[in-house]
Amino acid sequence: MLEWVMRGLRRGRVTTGYPHADEEPFWGFRGHVDVLDATGAEPALERVCPTGAIAVGGDHRLRLDRGRCILCGACVEAAPRRFGFHPTYETAARRRGALVVGAIDGEDPAPVRDTLAQRVRALRRSVHVRHVDAGSDGSEEWEIQALWNPHYDAQRLGVFLTAAPRHADVLLVTGGVTEPMRGPLERTWEVMPEPKALVAVGTDACSGGLAAATGAVAGGVDRVLAVDVYVPGSPPGPIAILHGVLLAVGVLEREAVP
Amino acid sequence: MSAVPDTLAVNAEPAPEPEIRLVVGLDELAEAARVLREAGARFITMHLAGRPVRSLMAAFALRGRLVALRAPLNGEPAVYPSLGAWWPAARWPEQELAERHGLVALGREHTRSLTRPDADVVEHVVRGPDVFAIPYGPVRSGVFEAIQFLIETGGEDVPRLHTRAYFKHRGMERRSVGMSVDQGSYVAERVAGIASVAYAIAYAQAVERALGAEPPPRAQRWRAVYAELERIANHVDVIAKEAETAALFVGQARFQIHKENILRLQAAFTGSRFARGAVVPGGVRADGRVDLDELLRVLDAFEKDLRRDRRLFVRTASMTDRLVGSGRLERATLDEYAAVGPLARGSGLGVDCRHERPYGSYRHLGPEVVTEEAGDAMARVDVRFGEIGESIRILRQAIDQLRRRDGRLRCDVPAASGAAYGWAEAPQGELLVWVEVQDGRVANVHIASPSLRNWALFDLAFPSDVLTDFAFVEHSFGLTPAGSDR
Repeated sequence: MLEWVMRGLRRGRVTTGYPHADEEPFWGFRGHVDVLDATGAEPALERVCPTGAIAVGGDHRLRLDRGRCILCGACVEAAPRRFGFHPTYETAARRRGALVVGAIDGEDPAPVRDTLAQRVRALRRSVHVRHVDAGSDGSEEWEIQALWNPHYDAQRLGVFLTAAPRHADVLLVTGGVTEPMRGPLERTWEVMPEPKALVAVGTDACSGGLAAATGAVAGGVDRVLAVDVYVPGSPPGPIAILHGVLLAVGVLEREAVP
Repeated sequence: MSAVPDTLAVNAEPAPEPEIRLVVGLDELAEAARVLREAGARFITMHLAGRPVRSLMAAFALRGRLVALRAPLNGEPAVYPSLGAWWPAARWPEQELAERHGLVALGREHTRSLTRPDADVVEHVVRGPDVFAIPYGPVRSGVFEAIQFLIETGGEDVPRLHTRAYFKHRGMERRSVGMSVDQGSYVAERVAGIASVAYAIAYAQAVERALGAEPPPRAQRWRAVYAELERIANHVDVIAKEAETAALFVGQARFQIHKENILRLQAAFTGSRFARGAVVPGGVRADGRVDLDELLRVLDAFEKDLRRDRRLFVRTASMTDRLVGSGRLERATLDEYAAVGPLARGSGLGVDCRHERPYGSYRHLGPEVVTEEAGDAMARVDVRFGEIGESIRILRQAIDQLRRRDGRLRCDVPAASGAAYGWAEAPQGELLVWVEVQDGRVANVHIASPSLRNWALFDLAFPSDVLTDFAFVEHSFGLTPAGSDR
């Protein structure tokens, strides 16, 4: 056993400084898609996207719903002048509407932000997180597990994993909610004590993703339960998920850049 | 054609090599399967096909060939003699066909529903004092995918375990119908996210074989690079989870660091930690963006680190005590259920389609099949350690060939029609994908995932184990419910 300890010590520190220090994604990382030029678009562009995340209005303005985007890159390939991958880790937002780029966001973000902040005030220093898989593709689970690996070590921020929903403050839900998972998901949320927050992890959880069109999933967690933070991505990276959790409990305030 | 017995060979219809497609009557299907089994065939899957006419198909692996039996359904009442009655491997596929398509196999025992799981139904089969049933899942303890295990126990031993899958059925096969073949790959790589590359490769190869396209060698090499990195990440993940279960925390951290490094490498290559969007029908999207020398350096360091960690891992008694003898499965049982992947190889079955029916670059890279004989959780972990080494060797070869930046990355895939199987050795085992294409659009897809086939064996893996061995055995299987449920 001593040998393991020595080996661990020799390896030194690998943990990220996020969120106190910036974690820079490397060039080419598919964080989310930016709209570079929204004007004068042809309606045919809509068909490029397999999940219907792109909409072209009557005024030929583009709208991109990052909550539906699976980061496949079909639009970047088809119209590189209009779309580009933006290497960023902070992709989470507190309102579904904030994930739509190019739309005139008529909603005032303050009430949602303040109500959540009010609710989770007691959670700021230490939270216990529980996870429910409601029909993911399995990769989101890997990325959530990674939060407690030496590189991300969420415990240093007071974020702990718990198996018991009755001890949990934050629920991470992956997948677009299949019919057999609806009941177990609702019951898990129900038995969690107040105050609590719900984070939808991944594009499937935000909108159903590709599976939304099959009718086998509800089409996003917010069709079943009220979602506090959306973390789009297919799958979102560990820092994106951490960003979402910290946003949910009010440790971080900055949301994804529109 | 000599690969199949002569009695069957007379009804062959054209299919891309090394597939042999034979037409049989619906009532002759079981008999033909029996002939194939006697000739040494391994069952893979059964499914519905839509072309050239609506048919029931059964696929088998036989001496380096893929043998498909196609039984047309001529509007007749869809009943056929059961294969599952005498070949356990066919039970779940038959059950699935019955529940999803109303195709009834005659002569098989009635089994519980497979595709309509109910988290609240608790069954009791075992009788005795103090016997109780634990429904474990679909909401698991820890961050795991949704699946349910119904465990009946008197407290220690596990006289009966019943695996309930399908909580995660998302209809991914029918999702790609109507899509262009390129878009279909986005669906394929999201069926089982932790094996995105393998699913994308199997799907792309099915399309390529159906439409007669051959991706250029440079694309094939890149595919092998991504696939082997994915295999390493999956195997290291299993080993890290075993260490976590044994509370071997430094060991767990070490393997988690290795896994994270591999995912980051994958992301540096392709922009995605799971190499999504890299593989497309006809080839790959782009050259990997990492300097090949840099990759070699990373591999060298990783191999050295891993060798030391493995040596320590197998010397740590608190670790190996939990693995040796746990979840032992006999070779004969695995054979009957047509197990694949590290599960089969841990019991001495050398099943690996990179070797059996080499595809892409594996025709030249000569992958060795790593097997162990003991059939327990330790053997499966040993197989994984061995395969990581083999993957590194394959990666070095592929990198060497990729230095010559010659040839194209992608060939044209004609917008034609056709149907074929494609396959890839996923980290979980052999993956088979059937794709029908109509004028460049996907018309039908069937996915035979290694996870679905191997879950059936999980129910049998606890002959002499106690409840606390459960997690060790589950991790040693290394399966993903997303793949089995589709």
